[in-house]
Formats: sequence, structure tokens, C-alpha cells
Amino acid sequence: MNVEVLFDQEWGEELEKRISQDGPWGNWDLFRSTLEMEKRMMVPSFEGLLAPSFLPELTILPHQLEAARKVIEEMNGKAILADEVGLGKTIEAGLVLKEYLIRGLAKKVLILAPSSLVSQWTSELNTKFHIPAVAQKKLYNWDQYDIVVASVDMAKRSPHKEKIYEQDYDMVIIDEAHKLKNPKTKNYQFVRHLKKKFCLLLTATPIQNKLDEMFHLVSLLKPGHLGSETQFSQEFKKGKRQVQNHAHLTALMNKVMIRNRREDTGMEWTTRKVESIKVRFNEEERVFYECLEHFVRSQPTEAGSAFSMLTLQREACSSKEAVYFTLQNMAQKLFTDQASFPPEFQSVLNAMEKVTENSKAQKALELVQSINDKVIIFTEYRATQLYLQWFFKKNGITSVPFRGGFKRGKKDWMKQLFEQHAQVLIATEAGGEGLNLQFCHHLINFDLPWNPMRLEQRIGRIHRFGQDKDVHIYNFSIEDTIEDRILQLLYEKIDLFKQAVGQLDDILAKMDMPDLEEHLTDIFQHSKSEGELQVKMKNLEAVFELADDWKKGEDSIAE
Amino acid sequence: MLNSEVHFFLKEYFTQTGCTFIEETAGSLAVKLTPELDKELMNRPFYWHYAEKTGMKGEPLSLTLITDQQKAPEELKGESVHVGTSRFHQIFQSAKKHTRFVRLYEQNHNQQQQPLHPWLLINVKVSYEADRKKDLYYSLGLNLINGLIQDDFMDTLYAKSLVSNIPDYSFTITPLIKPASGVKRLQRFMAERIQQENHSWAAQAHKRWMEDIHLLQAFYEETEEKPDAYFIEKEALEKQYAPKIHVNIINGGLLYLQPVH
Repeated sequence: MNVEVLFDQEWGEELEKRISQDGPWGNWDLFRSTLEMEKRMMVPSFEGLLAPSFLPELTILPHQLEAARKVIEEMNGKAILADEVGLGKTIEAGLVLKEYLIRGLAKKVLILAPSSLVSQWTSELNTKFHIPAVAQKKLYNWDQYDIVVASVDMAKRSPHKEKIYEQDYDMVIIDEAHKLKNPKTKNYQFVRHLKKKFCLLLTATPIQNKLDEMFHLVSLLKPGHLGSETQFSQEFKKGKRQVQNHAHLTALMNKVMIRNRREDTGMEWTTRKVESIKVRFNEEERVFYECLEHFVRSQPTEAGSAFSMLTLQREACSSKEAVYFTLQNMAQKLFTDQASFPPEFQSVLNAMEKVTENSKAQKALELVQSINDKVIIFTEYRATQLYLQWFFKKNGITSVPFRGGFKRGKKDWMKQLFEQHAQVLIATEAGGEGLNLQFCHHLINFDLPWNPMRLEQRIGRIHRFGQDKDVHIYNFSIEDTIEDRILQLLYEKIDLFKQAVGQLDDILAKMDMPDLEEHLTDIFQHSKSEGELQVKMKNLEAVFELADDWKKGEDSIAE
Repeated sequence: MLNSEVHFFLKEYFTQTGCTFIEETAGSLAVKLTPELDKELMNRPFYWHYAEKTGMKGEPLSLTLITDQQKAPEELKGESVHVGTSRFHQIFQSAKKHTRFVRLYEQNHNQQQQPLHPWLLINVKVSYEADRKKDLYYSLGLNLINGLIQDDFMDTLYAKSLVSNIPDYSFTITPLIKPASGVKRLQRFMAERIQQENHSWAAQAHKRWMEDIHLLQAFYEETEEKPDAYFIEKEALEKQYAPKIHVNIINGGLLYLQPVH
């Protein structure tokens, strides 16, 4: 085969200049040492990884090394890295990047991450990998620096977007790539128009059971790998949500995706100690909860579904502050003024006023005091977050808040405050991604998300590589409420907490229920009686158990 | 790479650039830089600009590098250096810059007239590059009188004693082949040599390229007018997979050597 040979002409020209100027000439000893070093730095073979020998201080785990090798040698530098939370996707991405930099196959690199993670990426690349990455700040950075970390939200906007389109990237790394699932969004279109030789998409959310999302993500990485949209539908889709030709699809996905699971890593993991803590409402809270139920049921169906009873009841299990905001919005929308409040609504307000204590918060306080160590508390609601902060302060416990909406610097600052000064960090859902808090060993789920994967992401903040102690997870729920029921179903029946996450994915995939949360909401909202609800929940439990059994069956066959 | 190799290289670098050693252990080096190296390595242009403007004599900094934590004194404070660090990269680049060209003469041990023949030396890095990469090293010498080309020329030179000024009783013979055309000759030689090599790597890369091109075309099959994204991706695939060979001269120069009889 005839290959284009490109000679560097510059040396010959410079030699002539040196001859005519009579120097300067180099030192012979240094000439020889430098040449020897240059030979040592050469890439001796197409295969293998050089990066580890360049990173003597970095502990690289076997599955991470294997992932990096596979990306380069088998996937030609285009891959979806979908390890379970906490297995070190960033390390794998860093290794691949370092390898390409050492081999001289990459120079110009763009890393896109959620704004909350930009500084973490920058610092990890610099300290762990000695890769001179800079966090994007100024417009001219795009030209001036070779390796830039930026947030997608900033990068996709003018004038940055235009500037980025001018760059020829050798490699693009996108963290939290599962957000790029809708081809109609600006983010998706933006990424599609980047010039990129090598590309890594990092995601912690499994995508196997969401066919369309999977298709769009792969098409971003390697258009055509799953065929065109029509071909894909014909070949793999059966009805709206079902998959056909499953084996073929899995084979194709394995060519572009790496998904390590805890159980495959062969590593010793510290244990998760899970404890369910049931809290009983006090009299006033119970009355309030029942008033809410009564109010929602009293509303005409359309309005009733518009602001579901479900939301209100879930909020009521967290704090009255959380309910208050929803009620306020509702009042503005539905009723012209206070005088026109229906009696049911008025009684909700009256009942709320009588609630003076938060039993869950009280319990959380006792627990935090008895733990006497760092604790992270997750809540779904910002109002609860604010309340808890106030409540802890009143009781002499220092806490710091953490939210997705915080600016980059503030997040780092809060993390640092937590590590060095405060006992408690109170985080809302959005604060979860990419936050590494291995120095903390206790986690309280003040309220529970209905999507088990989100719960896994919460736990992943502390139960990850680098955690050397057992971690304690406390799940709070209020007795005889919707929360209690969900906890029983999701988290106790199938022992989700103790399962490895990988199995959870499998179970959810087997259930063929792409969005569990949606399904649950559906059950709760559309059940006309308590009896119907019970039946539907029983059915769901049965499906869970069946899927779990299948999974166990498969595992035993595999062995 | 071994810590000791890095240590040796750094020591050679600081020695040959005229820096003063403050302290050396098996795992560390402390040196007082020369003003030239301070300007190159320490990134403080304002200081030197100020010093020059005010006529003040600039004071170069010292640098403490730890090449092996285990062998360095425990309490020693310094920068850790290994091949992956930016400090090493910087020093290596500096060393390369200083040693791209040499002109040397073979030492004359006899007290009689000694003619020296001109040779052109090039040390070459050949990179086979597609989506993967491999480097090869060549060292070639061209006799600028008779056009003879010698392989592994560095090995020949290692055995000789070479000095930077013309030795007593020695005289150089003027090249018949100009160094510039000598470089061209060696390039042609390299080109022929490269053609004879096995390039199955390129055929494989080409195959991977075509596979991806086919996928891409299938993806846009149903679209009448191809969108920008198609052309962007197509171009990116070419950049990624198109096999090419880069030939870069690492260093080299002129050598005046005694003729072999």
C-alpha cells in the first residue's frame, strides 16, 4: 500500500542558516543524552499503553486499564464509558487522553462537563495526570490553550459556539453524556457539529433499556453504527418500548460501550450498612397529611391531576415548608383571592398552621448527634433543605448547603467547608453528580427518590473507590404514608440497597419498564380507590420478584 | 521509565548548560540556574525585563528536583519530576532545542597532518500514523565527498573521540556535496527505505476508515441533501484514519572525520 510520506523540511533550512552564521552548535554530551531520551520517549508499538509508565503516582485499577486499552485498540478511540457510579470513569477517560497525548495523536482537546464539575475535571487532569488542562474562562481561551474544560451550557452559546466550531479537535470528552439524548436540543446539535477525531461519552445512567436514547447517543459518537433511524426501528424496535433482536443489539453496543460493574472489578468493596428508620407523624402532622388528602380528593378531576395529590403528599412527608410553596402556587392559579378558598383548602391551611414540629427533622437531629461524625443529608426539596439548615443551626449543629444551581467556585467552597468545618452537608438532588465525598461515611436519605438509579447516584457520592470504611445509609420514611409504601416496594422487597447496582439495571431492563417513576406516578394518580392501588402495587411487586428470579436463574446458568 | 534514567538526564542537562550543583543525592538534584536557564525555565519575564531596564544584575533562582521519593532525603522540599510531569517536558524541550545541531571534529592523537572528511549526520524519527501510532528510529550518515550513506551512524560516532574545535595538525576537506543537498539525498534514501517496509498497518487503518465511512453513508442514506454534520464527520474520519508517515529529523549536524582506510 502506498502511504503519503511527509518530510519535515525545517531542519534542513535551519542547518544552512547555522552553517552560514557559524553556529550556534550544540554540546555533544547533551546531544547524546537528549537523543537517548528521545528514543526512550518514542512509541515502540501500535499496541499497548504507555500512559501508566508516565503516571507512577497514580493507582490504576485493572478494570480501568483494560477499559483504556479496549477504547484505543478495539474501539478506535470512540466509546461510551458507562461504568457504574464510583468505578472511576474519569480515570479511564484520563488514561485514554494521556495515552493519545503521549503518542502525539491528540493535541487539541475539549472536555465538556456540567458546570459543577468543570473545576474538578481541571484539577484532576492536572494533578493526577499531569495534563495541562485549563478551565474555560475567557473567549480567547479556545485558541490559546490546547486542552480546555468547559461547561456545555456555556460552550453552546454565542460567541463561544462559533469560536469552538473553528477549532479542529483531536479529542472531545463529554461527561454526563446521558443528557444528550434528545436530538432536537441545542446541546445535542452543538455536539454533533464539533470536529472530533476521538470521542468519549461518559455516563453513569445505563442506557440499554431506553432504545431511542441509546440510538441518539451512539449516533453522536459513531453515526450509522446502529443504522439510520428507520433501519434501527425496523430491526430492533417492537412496539413502543420492546426490543427485538436483543442479542444482536447487545453485540453492537458492546463494540462502542464499556460498562464495568462492581461485581466484575474483583475489588474488595467496603460494605453498605442500610438501615430503614421509620418515623411516626405527631398528631398535628397526621391531621395535616389527612387534610391534604381530603382536599385533593375534593377537587374536580382535571384540577386534581394538574397538581397531583402525590406531589403534595410526598412533600408533606418531607416538611411543611416543602408543601407550602406548592400550595401557594396552587392558590394563585386556582382561586382569585383568599375569600374564595374552598373550605377544604382552608382547612389544609389551618392544619398546616398547627404543625409546629417536624418529626423527621427531630429524628435526623438525634441521629446526627449520636453519629458524631460527618453526615450528608439528601432531600428532594429545596424548602426542606433551607428548613433543615435553620433547624440544625438552632440546635447547635453546623451545616452547609449544596445545590446544583451553585456556581462552580461556590460548590468547591462548600465541599471544602464541609470537609474542614461543618458536620453536615445538606444536598438537593441536583447537587449529586460528580461530587466526591469519600471522607464521609454516613448518608441520610431524608426523603426518597422514586427512581432507584437516582438513589444509587446519591450513595455513589460516598461509596466509591477511595472509600476505606463501611458506609452507613439511613432511609427515612413516615409510617403509614405513601413514602412508607414506596420504600417497602422498591427498597425492601427486592433488597435493592444490598444488591449490586448492575443487578438493579438488569432487573429494570427485564421488567421492560423504561421509566419506573412514570409508572409509579401513573399507579398512584389513576387508582380510583385504595383497593385498586393495592392491587396494582402487588402486581408491580410480583413483576419485580419475577425479574429478580430470572436474573438469579441466568446467573446460575452462567456459572 | 526508570527514575534513574530521568535523574541521569537531568544531571547531564544541568551540567552541560553550566549550572552549579548545590546538592545531589541518589533521588534528588538541587541546582543554581544560570541566567539563561532561569529565563527559559522559570517563566518570569517581567523580572528579567525589569533587571535589564534598571541595569541591575539579575539573580537566577535555584531549583530542587526530586527524581525518586524513596531515595531522596525525607525532609527535602522540592518538585517531584518524572517523565509525565510538565517540568520534565519543559526541560526535555529545552534540551532538544539546544541540541538540534552539532559540528564536531575527530580528535587527532598523532602529531602529523590529518585530513578530515565532512559527513552529514541525521537522527530521524519516522512515525507511522493513523488512528494508532508507532515510531521508528534511524541514524544516517552521508559522506559529503563521495555520497556514501552509512546506517546506524551514531554507533560509529560513539566509538570516536569528538571535539567542538578543530584539533591541531588537522584540516578539513571542503564538501563536494552541499549540506543542503545532502539533506535532500538522505530524504530520498529514507523515502525508498520506507517504501520497502511492511505497511499492513496502513491497509488495516484504511479498512477501519472505509467501514466507518460506510456506516456514515448508511446513516444519511435517506436524506436527500446531506447536512453539515455529515461533512464534518466525514472530514473527521479522514483525519482519524488516513494513514500517513511523518519523517522528522530529531537532531544532527556536520562531522569531520578521519577517513577509514
